[in-house]
Amino acid sequence: MSGSVSTDDLVAWIRAFHEAVQQQKDELTRLDSEIGDADHGSNMARGLDAVVAKLDPVPASPADLFKTVGMTLVSTVGGASGPLYGTFFLRMGPALAAGGQIDADALGAALRAGVDGVVARGKAELGDKTMIDALSPAVDAWDTAAHEGPATAARAAAEAAARGRDATEPLVARKGRASYLGERSAGHLDPGATSATLLLQALSDTLAAAE
Amino acid sequence: MIGLVAVSHSRALAEAAVHLALQMGGETPPTVRVAAGGPDDDLGTDAVAIAAAIDEADSGDGVLVLMDLGSAILSAETALEFVAAPERVRLSPAPFVEGLVAAVVTAAGGGDLETVARECATAAAAKARQLGADAEGSASGVGDTGVAPAGEALSFEAVVTNPSGLHARPAAAFVKAASRHDAEVRIADLETGADEVSGRSLLALMALGIRQGSRVRVRASGPEAEAALAELRALIDEGFGER
Repeated sequence: MSGSVSTDDLVAWIRAFHEAVQQQKDELTRLDSEIGDADHGSNMARGLDAVVAKLDPVPASPADLFKTVGMTLVSTVGGASGPLYGTFFLRMGPALAAGGQIDADALGAALRAGVDGVVARGKAELGDKTMIDALSPAVDAWDTAAHEGPATAARAAAEAAARGRDATEPLVARKGRASYLGERSAGHLDPGATSATLLLQALSDTLAAAE
Repeated sequence: MIGLVAVSHSRALAEAAVHLALQMGGETPPTVRVAAGGPDDDLGTDAVAIAAAIDEADSGDGVLVLMDLGSAILSAETALEFVAAPERVRLSPAPFVEGLVAAVVTAAGGGDLETVARECATAAAAKARQLGADAEGSASGVGDTGVAPAGEALSFEAVVTNPSGLHARPAAAFVKAASRHDAEVRIADLETGADEVSGRSLLALMALGIRQGSRVRVRASGPEAEAALAELRALIDEGFGER
């Protein structure tokens, strides 16, 4: 890959995320059963099934793609992940200039707009044991590596997300259902940070394959 | 007149709550729309459906949205991005049922959006005042006629076998069974030694986070204590029907 990302690449990313969530569905639900209401895997899988059904024909532009993904997730996931992941994609679209080349900087800015949207929607901060603990370090790592191109930036982001996910294990949850458990929420990976890591890993895998 | 939207994880819950509230709406109740339930008609919320309900309920005087909990709030906030006139929509912090009842009555009485929103926002405080000293009593696990001495309470111990422990579904089954009997039921997680909580409080029970393999002690006192314990013991021993 020359350093630019096509609509087809982004569609492939969404498909890869769908596949990863399908494969990890039971594990996500198991994690959620430890500290939540045991529906994260099935909810995300259901929402992404509905998303993938709308990717043929391929949306005309990245903005159309992300709007379709976001609107579909907010209305088909059912749980809190719907508005959170939905907002992520709904914010990404407008951040990408229409028709322009998508280089590492542009995609990084769009990812950051998405993460900012999730922060605003969920009102979570770093360390609250949420998906933000994976997403926030990921976009920082992307920015640091962006000059080396999108595939390298995506790999750095995925690695940072995985570290952020792992760091949620000892944390006490301060947002969402898990926060009802107080200290008892410590000792478990956060399901949202786990699925968010799949999202970044899917992007990294997709851009590496396209290179 | 302002419009109302009831947002819930459960369509049945929302429709019943609206039915209840409209009993008090008089001859000319406000328009109330329901946006409730998930994509497969199971429990869940849908921001797009909420936005459509808000637009339908808006006659131009604005809309107050009552929500149950969790993702209902996130989805309602997300819905504000899709509605025609977000500037005249308010999301109420009121408890769902009390808020709906207060909203229907105040809106039917001609209150404008700010008036109805303000009235509903006091619903939780109003209920607390109504409960007065009783609320403090139950919060500390003490009945209003005094505590039954521990010696008079019957109890059993059992091990929770459900793979996910006492998560939402079995916890709800426990609370429902405990509540059916005229008995004060308390449950303690002997694994963690956390404070004993009321067996009738779903949130308190879920907050204990009782896990698979944990030994619990269930105590009951009152006229139907024996029957309550028998039923609860059977539920735990049978894994709440999850096996």
